[in-house]
Amino acid sequence: MPSPDPRGRPGAPALFFLLLLALLAAGPSEAADTVTVDVGAVYASNEGTSIDPALGTIREKLQSMFNYTSYRMLDRKRRSLSVGETGEFELPDRRTLQATPLPARGNKVRLSIRISEGPRNLLTTTLGLRRGGMVLVGGPPHQAGVLILLISAE
Amino acid sequence: MDCGTAPGKILAKADGLLPREEAAELAGHLAGCPACAAEDAALSATGPLLRALTGIRAMEKAPALDAMWTRVRAGIGESREARRRSSWIARWVWIPATVAVAILALLFYPARTDRSPFHPSSFDVAVEDVESDVATVALVDKGEDLPRVIWIIEDAKS
Repeated sequence: MPSPDPRGRPGAPALFFLLLLALLAAGPSEAADTVTVDVGAVYASNEGTSIDPALGTIREKLQSMFNYTSYRMLDRKRRSLSVGETGEFELPDRRTLQATPLPARGNKVRLSIRISEGPRNLLTTTLGLRRGGMVLVGGPPHQAGVLILLISAE
Repeated sequence: MDCGTAPGKILAKADGLLPREEAAELAGHLAGCPACAAEDAALSATGPLLRALTGIRAMEKAPALDAMWTRVRAGIGESREARRRSSWIARWVWIPATVAVAILALLFYPARTDRSPFHPSSFDVAVEDVESDVATVALVDKGEDLPRVIWIIEDAKS
């Protein structure tokens, strides 16, 4: 009778690491009626020529669309919201952005967006975009430049 | 052979160490010497007695030896079992460790942190309505491969 392998079954660790990877790849699951709203506040100015690497693939788009020489991410927040639930995102200069997912069909996301500065309503809009899509809201002054908000929904 | 050398041969014979030729020579001497023959007889009787005594002693000690062997075997078995248990723990302890790492990774994995770069998959956005109380709002659309922009022009500031 062969003696047992003292190293144990070599396939078992591999199996568990595969399970671990599968768990990591799956990540926290989100229901279809939940929308993850991602808001990045970018400071665009002509002070310097630095481009924040955190902007990822969007930095080339910003450079081709605007005439600013510097883009720096000031803040970024992400919230998972249910349909009808309002999430508030603080913006620089005491501004706030409120996002509310609205009912939508298929792969579409509808968002009600409201940007305010104290009691002043700077913008109220309703957007329809694909999951993973992005829209920019810009213009509010900040220091020597402007704020550009990168709003995306998954 | 004479009575001076015979006792040594008799002892060697009792011990079973006497060569065959010398044994024949000794037998010839014993046949003609009653004194050496008596000593040979006495020594020859001593061997079986000693063997019998050793056997009796062994029989007397057998239960104790059996008990000792039982204890030794039990000790060996316990040692093996302890090693096996230790080996089992060492072999499988990584399972709960892996599960713990997986749970921690799921809780703190940075894939969804706020610092992962932006990689939007679409710029296809429909603006259903837009309004502002204090600003002029412009919609800027520079093509399908560029994001749509809602530009706020604050009347008092811009």
